[in-house]
Amino acid sequence: MSSFRVSGRGRVDHTQPIQFTFDGKKIKGFKGDTVASALLANGIHLMGRSFKYHRPRGAVTAGSEEPNALVGTRRGPGRFEPNTRATVQEIWDGLQVNSQNRYPSLSFDIGAINDKAYMLFSAGFYYKTFMWPKSFWDKVYEPFIRAAAGLGVSPTEPDPDHYASRYLHTDVLIIGAGPAGLAAAVSAARAGSRVTLVDENPEAGGSLLSEPSAMIEDMPAWDWVAKTVAELKELGVKVMTRTTAIGYYHQNMVGLCEKLTDHLASPDGETPRERMWRVRAKQVVLAQGALEKPLVFDGNDRPGVMLAGSAQTYLNRYGVRVGNKAVIVTSHDSAWYAAFDLADAGTTIAAIIDTRAEPNGDLVAEATKRGIRIMAGHTVTGTEGRLRIKSVRVNPITGSSVGAAEVIVCDCLLMSGGWTPSLHLFSHTKGTLKWDEERQTFLPDHKAEECEIAGAGRGLWGIEAVLNDGAEMGAAAAKSLGKTTKAASYGVANDRPGTGVSHKELPTDLDAGKARAFVDYQNDVTAKDLRLAVREGMRSIEHVKRYTTNGMATDQGKMSNINGLNIASDALGVPQPKVGLTTFRPPYTPTTFGAFCGYHKGSHFEVTRKTPIDSWAEENGAAYEPVSLWRRAWYFPKDGEDMHAAVSRECRATRASVGIFDASTLGKIEVVGPDAVEFMNRMYTNPWTKLAPGRARYGLLLGDDGFIRDDGVIGRLADDRFHVTTTTGGAARVLNMMEDYLQTEWPDLDVWLTSTTEQWATIALNGPNARKVLEPFVEGLDMSDEAFPHMSVAECRVGGFPARLFRISFTGEVGFEVNVPAHAGRALWEMLFEAGKKYDICPYGTETMHVLRAEKGYIIVGQDTDGTVTPHDAGLGWAIGKMKPDFVGKRGLARPDLVAEGRKQLIGLLTKDGKTKLEEGAQIVLDPNQPKPMKMVGHVTSSYHSDAAGRPIAMALLEDGFNRMGETIYIPMPDRVIKATVTGTVFFDPEGARLKL
Amino acid sequence: MTVLTHAFTPGPIVASGPVKLTLMAPVARFSLRLRAANIPAVSKAIGVDLATTVGARAANGTTETICLGPDEWLIIAKPDDTEKLVAACADVYASATHSLTEVSAREVTVRIEGERAAELLTIGCPRDIDTIPVGGGCRTVIDGVTVVLWRDAEQSFRMDIWRSFALHVIDLLCTGCKEFAAE
Amino acid sequence: MLLIHCPYCNQTLPEAEFTYAGEAHIARPSDPSSVSDEEWRDFLFIRTNVKGPHYERWRHFHGCGRYFNAVRDTVSDRFLITYKTDDPRPELSKLLEKSK
Repeated sequence: MSSFRVSGRGRVDHTQPIQFTFDGKKIKGFKGDTVASALLANGIHLMGRSFKYHRPRGAVTAGSEEPNALVGTRRGPGRFEPNTRATVQEIWDGLQVNSQNRYPSLSFDIGAINDKAYMLFSAGFYYKTFMWPKSFWDKVYEPFIRAAAGLGVSPTEPDPDHYASRYLHTDVLIIGAGPAGLAAAVSAARAGSRVTLVDENPEAGGSLLSEPSAMIEDMPAWDWVAKTVAELKELGVKVMTRTTAIGYYHQNMVGLCEKLTDHLASPDGETPRERMWRVRAKQVVLAQGALEKPLVFDGNDRPGVMLAGSAQTYLNRYGVRVGNKAVIVTSHDSAWYAAFDLADAGTTIAAIIDTRAEPNGDLVAEATKRGIRIMAGHTVTGTEGRLRIKSVRVNPITGSSVGAAEVIVCDCLLMSGGWTPSLHLFSHTKGTLKWDEERQTFLPDHKAEECEIAGAGRGLWGIEAVLNDGAEMGAAAAKSLGKTTKAASYGVANDRPGTGVSHKELPTDLDAGKARAFVDYQNDVTAKDLRLAVREGMRSIEHVKRYTTNGMATDQGKMSNINGLNIASDALGVPQPKVGLTTFRPPYTPTTFGAFCGYHKGSHFEVTRKTPIDSWAEENGAAYEPVSLWRRAWYFPKDGEDMHAAVSRECRATRASVGIFDASTLGKIEVVGPDAVEFMNRMYTNPWTKLAPGRARYGLLLGDDGFIRDDGVIGRLADDRFHVTTTTGGAARVLNMMEDYLQTEWPDLDVWLTSTTEQWATIALNGPNARKVLEPFVEGLDMSDEAFPHMSVAECRVGGFPARLFRISFTGEVGFEVNVPAHAGRALWEMLFEAGKKYDICPYGTETMHVLRAEKGYIIVGQDTDGTVTPHDAGLGWAIGKMKPDFVGKRGLARPDLVAEGRKQLIGLLTKDGKTKLEEGAQIVLDPNQPKPMKMVGHVTSSYHSDAAGRPIAMALLEDGFNRMGETIYIPMPDRVIKATVTGTVFFDPEGARLKL
Repeated sequence: MTVLTHAFTPGPIVASGPVKLTLMAPVARFSLRLRAANIPAVSKAIGVDLATTVGARAANGTTETICLGPDEWLIIAKPDDTEKLVAACADVYASATHSLTEVSAREVTVRIEGERAAELLTIGCPRDIDTIPVGGGCRTVIDGVTVVLWRDAEQSFRMDIWRSFALHVIDLLCTGCKEFAAE
Repeated sequence: MLLIHCPYCNQTLPEAEFTYAGEAHIARPSDPSSVSDEEWRDFLFIRTNVKGPHYERWRHFHGCGRYFNAVRDTVSDRFLITYKTDDPRPELSKLLEKSK
């Protein structure tokens, strides 16, 4: 393999070669490599182009904070993911990786013209560049922005993978399995807590994986990690790797995204790709560590410029030297150790440039021993190299002046601006931060949740300090749960503690206004942009962020927050703690929509409620429509019939002989108790006291505002028992409303409500022959007109099943609704259908039901009403029990606006030509020639072709409609104006003669 | 794995693996509502001392009850006992008013059992299953659907689901079984 | 997702089992016909919409089915207390004292 791979080094398996492609080119790596480590092992630093300027970019990190090395990954059809971080994607045989934001190729990209035109794209360019001329918006600016916006390209095919979710309850959730997290887990688990330990990496160990020379308890660091993980598993700790804590929510709810198959060459097909865990923890320990900061100088984004700690990780964890000739530039001791490790592995260290005048003497001695040139008190003022760094420009700093430049040749520049504690999750909880002057960073302060922060995440440095802190915090979490425990104490040899200083932009002898010194790599925000934003009046850090887009990229400011703050604070002349940090928001790292959807896709997207008779409809070719969560048979087309033909036929057949309809979805509520009638009197507008058992009545339900909420037929089964029906969509809402009044306003009433919607299957038979079909199946009931008139209810047996039989009509024909226990629904339906054949029985769906009821002017709540319609508006004033002292809505009906003249009222409409069917929702005007915008006086609520009326019919809500009978109104449509006459709402059999047997 | 339909034929749905799912035979089911003062009288009538803690169960022979709310119980009985139960309650109604409403057909019941039964529930149920004691139960939510969960043993549950939601919930449970099998 | 204590079940349970039900302690006038239009308007529509501790109602919809009352801080989204519908309205000063 290449000369950049260090034989035998790292945690990759040198015996398991793996081949993948990058932009079609075959690349070799080892099992355990990431895309980035394998590319670096092959000497490839150029991995992508930046978002705005299309500048060539390479990996700047070795972890999930990576802003630059974003790639598209593909695994066959539909399995394409853009913006995958090359630094975390594990390789497998056959993985296809493509670079992004480049055309025609990564090394030659036309979009890079933006880089030359950078003056156009400075801070706030979104608000400036596209201001005028206005006419350019549609044709020029918007298409340009749309084409340029976004990172990568969206997948175009449906995602064939499946995703999962789980709830998990745990005593202690520990986030981060580095030294602090491992030690915390040991403490908490030894104390007997249920512990869950998660880490986004493929294996536990965190920073210890990059520090193999450290000795913990006289054991090499990696051996200690292995021993500890084994012990934790032994103690029953749930150890979850490749699992990212994406958000920390109220009361210790933490969202975890577990990646299950993205690292596998051939997943089994049953294993979900990702699983979202919703974890409720009694205690959380945040052990997320710290992120290294870049230094801000001209050309700090060139491929080959990388964080020093990441170079150390590539070497120690992946066995990859990131270059042959490195220059180090640092303000922190940690980068010196990276230099030593690289030097020992064979990379030439051309110089260590430390911005501090007097670096630590021990480090200087170590460097000198290795023959490394030390340039203390120096700055970096530029880099050269088109697709890869070739040299770095270095100047001495004397006081406030920058001396003459020296150019040093190199193939990589390793930088460290110090370390920032990872505060993201802590900040999700609205925990407060305090500025630490010595460390020049924010640290967690007041906690808003039951949590502890351990290790580098609260500013500690050095393995020993972090381990012992983790042990303490794990013990503290266990103690909060009432466990008694003592934290272990760890001794570490070959530890690498250190300190550093923090910077704004590095000082330069050149024109700072021309420097391309990047703060936010992913969004191409430079130090100059931040200063410009302040000059242009942005004062709040939140405004600076939005004006420049600093920290708004998918890395959520992991690299850029503190550098951005330092620069903004300097520009504003206000100390950092006064400027403050911008808000961190979930998710911690980009998360797929699939993980959020979980199981809710395809047929499991949402509940599809089906009635007990639905399967018959399906077998008989029904077309369906969704009604709330139900799917209902819409119409039953015969061969060659369209919807119009089928519905016309169903309507004719029902009025001519008999139709059969599945009404099972109607809501049903059993109201039982000595105070049942009192409750009904208070709830519904109608009077119930005199309704005798065995009789039924149309009930109207209002809100206390006086507007119609629901309706349905209600049967009185006994003095103290009502069978209430509601609309299909209103069932849950009505029961909720009833419970609300009963529990909180009238708790003294002895009455109880039970939902029986699903207890009963409901079959409606309508038409002149309905009784003839039904009667032979009915036992224990005299069905004569005298004994069982219209609006009756009886408990009897139908088809051998216990039944509640209603004689009611929603069609204007003689009608029955048979309720039988749900499991008997289909059997009875088939019996009735079979027996009805000699009467040409016709199954009909919801559309025919709608037409038949509209012909009779029966309203549908929610279609002909919209929450602002009173009973009077709907022509239902007759349903109000005027003698009752109170009912829900009575006082509301007396409100001034509800008794005012000229309200919108429900009327019928007949189009003048007798042929045109109006569009539901169409607006009505009185004068079609008035200037626009016209005064709209109402809208069409229902409109159908009526076979019985021989013409189209419609209902509408129209201002002062009742006083406009016979008047002509107008319905303007895009291509014409339709004339219609205002009529009553009953279009068929106004005398109701057909209801009689 | 058996594909379940709305016919809800009792029998195994998932017959092997770490969790087995079985659609149970129909039972008689009643919603019982009453005030605290009338608990002794109605308990006597139905022959079960109704529990008064939400989630607690009480049984007598084949008649089982679970307290679902401060004034609400679910009664499960053999279908043959329906008339006896209704009559017994009717007898005390005048002095101990209550509501007894038959809901036998409203729900179907799935038995969930096997070494990972409790874990299977976590794919859709946000409640901490560990807090449901053996011999207890609760009304809760799974994947947005209200269900009544009975814990009969450490790893054996019954779940009552309204008919029209049952296929959705059972489908989810089957998906979970497949995930377990793939591990 | 919050954890909510149901005063009827006496258990602290996931928010997914509950539904929100508006401001608490808004009693329906016992004789609506005797109240003025303005009083009825206030009963129907006028709510305190506080920033901070808010008296509100929840229903243990997927559980015991009971409506109950709560005091929740609308800024921090934290419950100070939940209590039964017929319990007296708790004094805010005492709740705030207790939560400190």
